[in-house]
This record gives sequence, structure tokens and C-alpha cells, in this order.
Amino acid sequence: MDYDMISIREKIGEILCEYGANDKRIYVIDSDLAKSTTSAKFRDKFPDRFVETGIAETSAMSIASGIASEGQIPFYVNFAMFVSGTAWTQLRQAAYANLNVKLIATHPGMDDGPDGASHHANEDIALVRTIPNLKVLIPSNIKELRQAIKIAIETDGPVYIRAARDVVPNVDLEQNAELGKSIIVDDQGNDFALIYEGTATAVAYKAYDALKEKGYKGKLINIFSVKPMDVDLINNLASTVKGIVTLENHSILGGLGGAIAEILAQRPNHAKLAYVGVPDVFTESGKSADVKAKYGLNVDNVVSKVEEVLS
Amino acid sequence: MDIKHLELLANENRKRIVQMIYKAKAGHPGGSLSVIDILTAIYEMDVDFSSEKRSKVVLSKGHAVPAQYAVLASKGIISEEELGTFRQVNSRLQGHPHALDIKEVDATTGLLGQGLSIAVGMALVKKHEHENNHVYAILGDGEMQEGQIWESLLQASHYKLNNLIVILDYNKLSSSGPVNEVINLEPIVDKFKAFSFHTIHIDGNDMQQVVNALNEAYTIIDRPIAIIADTIKGKGVSFMENNPKWHSGALLDEEYETAMRDLERAKEEIQ
Repeated sequence: MDYDMISIREKIGEILCEYGANDKRIYVIDSDLAKSTTSAKFRDKFPDRFVETGIAETSAMSIASGIASEGQIPFYVNFAMFVSGTAWTQLRQAAYANLNVKLIATHPGMDDGPDGASHHANEDIALVRTIPNLKVLIPSNIKELRQAIKIAIETDGPVYIRAARDVVPNVDLEQNAELGKSIIVDDQGNDFALIYEGTATAVAYKAYDALKEKGYKGKLINIFSVKPMDVDLINNLASTVKGIVTLENHSILGGLGGAIAEILAQRPNHAKLAYVGVPDVFTESGKSADVKAKYGLNVDNVVSKVEEVLS
Repeated sequence: MDIKHLELLANENRKRIVQMIYKAKAGHPGGSLSVIDILTAIYEMDVDFSSEKRSKVVLSKGHAVPAQYAVLASKGIISEEELGTFRQVNSRLQGHPHALDIKEVDATTGLLGQGLSIAVGMALVKKHEHENNHVYAILGDGEMQEGQIWESLLQASHYKLNNLIVILDYNKLSSSGPVNEVINLEPIVDKFKAFSFHTIHIDGNDMQQVVNALNEAYTIIDRPIAIIADTIKGKGVSFMENNPKWHSGALLDEEYETAMRDLERAKEEIQ
């Protein structure tokens, strides 16, 4: 595949402006990172529906609950570390009340490479997918980001959107992103299924090409909707392919791999499963690509895991 | 406002609180009884459930939810019978406020420190929509020790939320004893002043003072309001007053009877 690369994060503010122009219920909340998350574009266009909280993430999350309680649709846009971990009980309360609180979590996984392990959100999927009522979506390109935001607006209740800061392939797939549905990006055969989450798309594409070149015929699956998950598709894969490898810009504990394992483990028979992601360690500073390569998110690792499940 | 009428309503609500907790064999009587005069007054004076755009009440000290259920029962929203299901399985009356179950409960709270931020969010929207009503955040003194409270005080003051009325139920006791021995809040009025709040310091169990404070709050146009209400934990039940033991707990049969006798006597005194 030929493609250029783009950061999903760059379009967040722009897309929120597009929807915010027609839907006056949309508010955007920021905690002093509007430039980094690009929500500043919304601030400049709709200052009266933009709420700056200062560096006060827990309060920001509860303010979102208050705004939602008044019939509005607040998008709290901030780093994944802060909207998942820092404000977890506040998010959980919003979900308990099934409020229309929408999160856009930027800088997920190791996307904030140079800032180091303190800022690497390798646990956010695990933290948010266990909260009842909360939907979890991970776009892999700009089109899917736009669709994820649209789904968030149209879905009653809280939604968490994990949006890559690092670059992803700038492609437009034909298939539309839907709540509860995964996207079959390519299907060549039943040797393997490589299931990835959107912020690991760059490695997923390269690894899939490398596997094709080696003669393996498999499927490339973009999970998109981590919650609710496309359980039928996963069950179907479990009985049709020889091996499944999950790929995530996240810890291998409790994230995408864990979610898939929870489904497979309930079957009497299923394809062999292997995980690619960050092992149970803290990472370190470095260029995002370098950190990812060192901590498991690299093409060689994916290829060898696929070969392992096929052996 | 007819003060005597409000006092009688508050007295009935106190009885409901004691009955609810007695029946549930669990709950937080002390903080429910200290705040009930304030809650009764707010709902009578400023909450019109028939209006879509109405004033909202965030009970940030969510463990005092028996007080909220009692007021909602006095308004006919919860039946007296349903009050008997408090804290039981299959009841709408959860141990802490849950807005999904009862739409007249304006905010889901219970994790201390979060309610004031929720109120700030509501007040921001109401101000933006030019609504002519208020958002009340009812805080416990113990939860003033939560960091999030101070984040939201900064934000309320930054946005000059003149439609936000913060009420501190200052009964001076938290779970393990005198709140100011756990972590000192004083000088608390000065702290609100330093955050640019209009402050009103009252006896929160004196209905006339509560009504006067709310009426004063409605006249403030340039900043948020904080009513620091000195109250008595367990107010109205002789053996509970100022006794930290009654932060949370069940009543024995004879304790229940004494409590109801105390409240009946108080009713006669009001009349």
C-alpha cells in the first residue's frame, strides 16, 4: 500500500468546529493544553462554548458532567493519561449517571514519546473499558475520527475516543466506522488475523505487508469499537483463522489483547492467540517511534508473533 | 416566606430521615439532620419541578441523601412508602444520590469533592443560556479537604458565577471526629473571601437566618456566593447532637423511639 502519514490529533479541533457550527449543544473543555490537542481552534471560533478549566483535570471532568446535566454535549479533550487515569473516578461517576460526556484522549500509549513514562498512557484502554455505560472508540484515520465524533454526538451516554498523536497512514477506507463494529481492512485468507487498535495502525500496515511478502495469507482487522466489541466477528475469526495476533499501543494487560482473550477463553476451541504491545513495565523517553520499537511495537515483533501462532 | 411553615416542614423531614435510616438499619443521620433546614428552605423557595429550566441542587455531600429523599417526599415526588426501601435491593433510593434513578435528583454524587465542579458546569451553561435561576452546591465540611473542591472554587470565581450558591454545612464533625482536628479548615470564611466569593455566615439551623441568607444571595450579581452555615450534627435528636458516633449508623428500637419523641416535642414547640 502507498500512503502518506498524518496525525489524527491535528484534525480534532477542526472537526469539532464542523459539528459545533450546526449543533449548539456542543461544548469543548480544555485544561491548558488546547494548542497541543488542537481544541484551540474551537476556542477561537466558539469562545462562549469553550470552557478553560486550567490545570485541573478532576474538576474538568466533573464540569463536563454538569454541562451534560444541562442538556449539552461536552467534549473534554485532553491527554489520554489525564482523561483516563487522573480523572478516573470523575469519569466513572459520569458513566454511572450515563451522562452525555464525551472524551477525546490524545497522546495515547507511547505517542508522547519524549515526555517519558510519566506521560505514556499504556493503561488507558484497561482503565476505561471496565466502566459500564462507557463506549470506547479508536479511529485509525481522519475519516474514522470524524465518524467517531459523529457517533459520540448521536449516542446517548458517555463515549471515550482514543486519538493518535503520532502519525498514522493517511488513507480513506471505503467501509464506514460504526459503533460495535470492526473494520476488515484486508482479507487474503485464513492463515492469521492481525487485530490492531487505531493508534497502532502504522505498524499494523507495515507488518501486514511484510507478512504478505513472506507468503502468508491473512486478515487485517481494525478493531475501531473496543466497547461494545464486535463479538460476532471475533467469534467468527476464532473458528476460521489459524492464529490471532493483537497489536496495541498499550500494555498487553487489560487492553485490546485482554479483551479479545476474554472472548476466546469462553470457547471450547479457538485460534491460538498472541499479543503485541507493551510488556508489564514502565517505558522511557525517546522519539515516539524509537520508544515503540524498543517496547514491542515493531514489525519484526508482529511477524514473529504471527509465525509463533502458526507454528 | 412563612418561617413557621418551613420549620414544620423541616421537622417532618427530620422524622422521615430518622425513619428511613431506622428501617434501612444503615445511613448517615448526623449530616442529614444538620443540613435539612437548609435543604427544606432551598426546595421550598427556589426549586420549581414543573419548570423545565429550573434551579438545580447538587448534594455534593451525597451521604446526606436521606435529607434529599425526605424533601422529595415532602414535594410528593417520592412516596412515603418508597422511603421505606432506602438502601434496599431493587429500590430507586440508592445509598448515595443517583440521578438516573430519580430525575428530580439533579446530580449523581457520593464521591466527595466532585459536586461543586458539577455545579460549576451547570452554572456555566445556565449563564450562557441566560437562565434566571440558581445552582446550589451543598458541601460538607469534611469534603473541603478534597483537592478538587479548591479547583472548582478557582473556576467558579474565575467565571464570576453569580448564579452559583455554595452552602457549607459546617457541622464541624467528620467520620473520625472534629473536622478541624483531622485537618484544620479555618479560617474558612476568609478562604472563601480570598477566592472572591460573596460570603454570608449564618446559623444554618435557624430557619429565619437561612431564608435571609438565600434572599441576600439572590441579590448578588458579580460573583459566586458562599453561605457558611454553622450547624449541629444530628440536630433535633438529643442523643445524636454533636456526637460523631452518629455520622453513620443504625438505630436501636429504643433510640428510634427517643428520636421520634424528641421530634414530636420539637413540633409542638414550633406550633
